[in-house]
Formats: sequence, C-alpha cells, structure tokens
Amino acid sequence: MSFTRFLVRRTLTVIPLLLGVVFITFMLIRVGGLDPVGQLAGPTATQAEFDMIREELGLDKPLWQQFLIYTGNVMQGDLGESWLSNRPVLDDMLERAVISLELLFWGVGLGALIGIPVGLRAAFRPNGKFDQTTRVLSLLGFSIPTYWLGLVMIFVFFYLLDWAPPAIGRIGLMIFPPDTVTGSYLIDGLLAAEWEAAWSATTHLILPVICLAIVSAAPIIKQTRAIALEVLSSETVRYARACGLPERTVRKLVFRNSAVPILTFVGTEVTGLVGTMSLIEYVFAWGGLGQYGLNAIVRGDFTAVQGYVLALALFSVLVFLVVDIIVHLIEPRSELS
Amino acid sequence: MSLLEVENLRTHFISRDIDNQIRVAKALNDVSFRLEAGKVLGFVGETGAGKSLTAQSICGLLRPPARIVGGSVLFDGQDLIEMPQEELNALRGDQIAMVVQNPRTSLDPLTRIGDQLVRIHQAHTGGPVTASRGRALDMMQAVGIPDPANRSNAWPHELSGGMAQRVLIAMALMNNPKLLIADEPTTGLDVTVQAQILDLMKGLTERFGMAMIIITHDLGIVAHYSDEIAVMFAGTIVESGPVREVFAKPDHPYTRSLIASTPEKLQIGGGAKLGGQPPDLYNLPSGCPLRTRCTFAEDVCATPPTRKQIGGGHYSVCHFSGALPEGGGPQ
Repeated sequence: MSFTRFLVRRTLTVIPLLLGVVFITFMLIRVGGLDPVGQLAGPTATQAEFDMIREELGLDKPLWQQFLIYTGNVMQGDLGESWLSNRPVLDDMLERAVISLELLFWGVGLGALIGIPVGLRAAFRPNGKFDQTTRVLSLLGFSIPTYWLGLVMIFVFFYLLDWAPPAIGRIGLMIFPPDTVTGSYLIDGLLAAEWEAAWSATTHLILPVICLAIVSAAPIIKQTRAIALEVLSSETVRYARACGLPERTVRKLVFRNSAVPILTFVGTEVTGLVGTMSLIEYVFAWGGLGQYGLNAIVRGDFTAVQGYVLALALFSVLVFLVVDIIVHLIEPRSELS
Repeated sequence: MSLLEVENLRTHFISRDIDNQIRVAKALNDVSFRLEAGKVLGFVGETGAGKSLTAQSICGLLRPPARIVGGSVLFDGQDLIEMPQEELNALRGDQIAMVVQNPRTSLDPLTRIGDQLVRIHQAHTGGPVTASRGRALDMMQAVGIPDPANRSNAWPHELSGGMAQRVLIAMALMNNPKLLIADEPTTGLDVTVQAQILDLMKGLTERFGMAMIIITHDLGIVAHYSDEIAVMFAGTIVESGPVREVFAKPDHPYTRSLIASTPEKLQIGGGAKLGGQPPDLYNLPSGCPLRTRCTFAEDVCATPPTRKQIGGGHYSVCHFSGALPEGGGPQ
C-alpha cells in the first residue's frame, strides 16, 4: 500500500471515532444533569423566564433532536457558544490550543530529552549506582502530586529565591504582548524581534515547563529502561555480541531497536498528560485549553465541555497518527495496515 | 598443538536466593577436550547438560550469574579466559565465529542483510567498504543464496528460516574464521532444509579449512557430520572419541542409553529409554552424577570416577570403563 493511501485511510478511520466521542460526551453531559439554565437565569428568575431560556437554548426539544442538531452543527464547525465567555467555543479553543501546545511541547520535549538517555544509561548497567539513583528519582516524580509540585516550585523559586517571575500568566504584567502570529508569545516575540517580550515569555515558561518535564520524565525513564533491558536480553543483541561487534555498535543497535516502543510510549504519554496539563495551567494561571476545560467543567458550561472533550479526542487521534507515520518511516517491518 | 584445548573448565551459576544465601549451580564440571584444526567435533546430550554453556564459556559470552570458576581455554595458543574483554570481543566473529539457533530473531531487524555482513567485516577486518561489500556478495554466493546482489538488500524478516540460517553462515565466514561454533544450527528448520544446511557447513569447513563444533540433540547429525563426538551429561563430558569408535563401542552407560533410545532403535524393539530426571545442578549427587539413574551403579559409584582411555583417543568417565558387558544399556 502506498504511503498516501495509508494516510487517507488512517484519516478516514478518525471520523467514526470522533462521531462516537461526540455521542458519548453529549449523552454523558445531558444524563449527568449539567443544567445551565439555573445558573443562567439567576436566583430571582420566575418559571416563565426559566422556560424562555430553556426554549432559547433548544433544551425543550427531545434528546435525540438536540443530538442531531448538535452533531449537524459540529460537522459545520459550530461547537456552540460558551455562556461563560459569550463567544463561540471553537474560537475560544483555537486561541488557547496554541498556548497549551506550546507548554506541552516544551514540557514533554524536555521530559523525553532527559528521560530517554537516562533510561538507556540505567539499562546498560542495571542495578548500578546510576540505575538505583534514577530509579528513586523517577519514583519520586511518579508520586509527587502535580499541583503540589507546581505550588512548591512557585513558593521556592518565586517567593523565597525570587529567581522566577510571579506565576500569573505567560508574560510580565508590564510588557506588551507581541502581535499575534502563532499565538505563542515566545515565537511571536522572536518573529517580531521584540526581545524583551520573548525573554519575558521564556522566563514565564520555565517553571511550568520544568514541572511538566518532571512529571513526564518519570514514566519515560522507567519505560525506556524496561524496553532497553528487554532489547538487551534479546537474541539480536546476544548475536551481535557473539559477532564481536564493538560496544558502541551494540549500543546503537539497542537504541535503534528500542526506538519504536519508546516512541509509542511517549505518544501515549502525551495524550495522557492532558489531565495533568489542566492542573499545571491552573496553578500557573496559564490560560490555555486545559484551564479552559477545567473551568468549563467546574462552572457547568456544557457546550465548552463538549468542545473541550472533542478537542482532546481529536488531539489523541492526531498524536497517534503522527506516531504511526514516524514508526512507518523507521521500521521496515511495518505493514501499513 | 591443537587449535582449541579446553582443560578442566568449570562454570557455575552463582546467585543469592531469597534468604540471601549463596546458591551455586555447578553447570560445567571439569570439561576437557581438544579440537584439531580442520576437524568437526559434535557435542550431544540432553537439555541442561551444558553443551551451549560450554560454547558460551569458550567465547566469553556468559551472562551473570554464570561465571567461569576454573580451568583454561587455549585457542591457538592464547588463553581466552585470561584475555581482556576487548581482545576477546575482537576475536569473536573474527577467528571464532558462531552460528546460532534462531537466525531470524538473531539478525538485526532494522538493518539490511548486506549491511550486516559488511558491518561484521568492517568491525574486524576493516579496509575499504567496497571490498567488504564484494566479500559479502562472495560469501552469500558461497552459502548458496541465489541472486546475492539483489538479496543483500533484503530485510531479515523477508527471509525464510533456511535462508536466514544461510545468512548467518555467511556472516560467520566473512572474516575467515579458524573455528566455527554451530549451536543447534538446524533446530528450528525443516528436515529437508536441515540436511542442506549441514551439508553446506560441512562442505565449507573443508573448503575454508575451518574447525567446527556442532552442538545438537541429534545423534544422527553427529554421526553424519562430525569426526569426533563428545557426550555431555550434567556438565561433564562422560565419553569422547572418534565418532566411528564411539558408535561402534559405546562405553559409558549414558552413551549406551542415548544410542539405544534413538527412534530407530526403539522401533525395532532393541532400544531402551533412560528413565529419570536430569540431576539437580544445585545439588549434584556425590561421585558419578548418573549413579541415581544407572542400572550398573554400585557402592563405588558414590566416589568420583576418573577419566580413562579405552582406545585411540576414546575416553570414558566411569568406574567400570571397559569392564561393562557388551551391548545393552541400562534397562
């Protein structure tokens, strides 16, 4: 099968998946009793006002009609309007997606950049000093609650040491954000050659990125170590040693043969971290998609919640698609089916 | 001087159990044998007898908790046990080449077979890559891979088991080894392919003047392809000698029962099975390890037997060497 056909087919399989997600989130929220009418109408509303709002929102129609209308709208790219922001949910999310992706990219990138070499090194000498130290550290990274880690980091690096800027957003209060091109202050600042803004954006990124990197590196270390250990005891490596290949060649071989499972794992990591992202964004007042979704859930903004869940599903699907493509490029055995 | 001289080789698995007590499995106990240049030596014995472990000990491929605790291995006059790891590594795949049991899973799945052949040649012999490439094609030709130029671009998973085994043999030949160790080279293959591979290896040893060690469960293979035989039991070579001699006049009760329990013998009714379990390597019986299963066993067998010569190059480790009644093994 050619590569383009594979891409088309993979992309087509996304559609029923997303339909399923739309159905489930819609039903869960309706059945779960998230009713915005009470909050919208306020405490002094009369029954007539209640009914009016209900009719306006279309909530008086039977459930299946509501679902069909919603699905039809989603297909046209209309995710509804958030009553919190009074703006289309899609616009809200598009604005925030880049902000979250920026944090996720640097955080998981740094986590993988630390986690993979550390895991490999630990595997080459199992139960050595390095292995034992990193095992304890990764266990710590596993068990520390994310929001607590974020708060402690703010306390230590902002309040006590004053190394980091206050955790209120993505850029200093006194600095004008650069013109929006991508949505990331750092990149926009660099593009517009506004060095001060870019620098401020960078300093604001550091703490949440490190926080996310710690949380994501811990499982990557553990998994990489396990994967590499398995490859090390495989017949391939034993045969390579029997062939007297130099240690460097053998290590390269181990790395290459571990690459696919490690990559797949990092892919699942990325999709699994969205929950953590919400907490980190909340603690650092990041204002990204995670915080938006969390807020929507807490406040009962059901159109936003539906949109948020749909966006996360789409994100997972895209991540796995990218992983599949990379795996296909480095793995001669992949069948593309 | 022989090409390979192994003297009293002892390999133990030393580990700690759950109570932190040291446990020792005596996997190889005073293994001694010689191999002349250009000869083929066949190792036979049941699973766990130490055949593969002997090969791994020789090549320094033991993995913890296995450790050589005594003895010497002289290859071409060099002591392999005393040799530093890097030097030994340089020798492996170069002068001592190995062919292993599962060729398809042993080859590097992410490298084309031609590149793997080049890689092993570059690692040991070096020189221009084009020369290595040429040699790779020659060796693929020599092991009977059709259309080498095309096949060298194949991935390991695209090969059949027999073809992959030929690639492994080509890998072994790349650096012109003096010794080829074939550890159950045909166990995973079809019977018809088995014969092809063994014929090929036998032919190549003659053509390239290599010595070969074949490790197998199959007495037929040893009878057919080797000059010498070594029968292993519980980490010891219980009987060794020229193949004809040993098959004509098996001396050790274990060898006799092995020969008696071949399917052909059992079918014509003259055979016998050797009952019982292989001995526990953590807790070997005193004296002769076979004594709990041997019908000839007497009180004297509780003391360690010595190695006795019973013919030209024919040795047996039994208290009753040369004194047991002809024919019939333990019933």
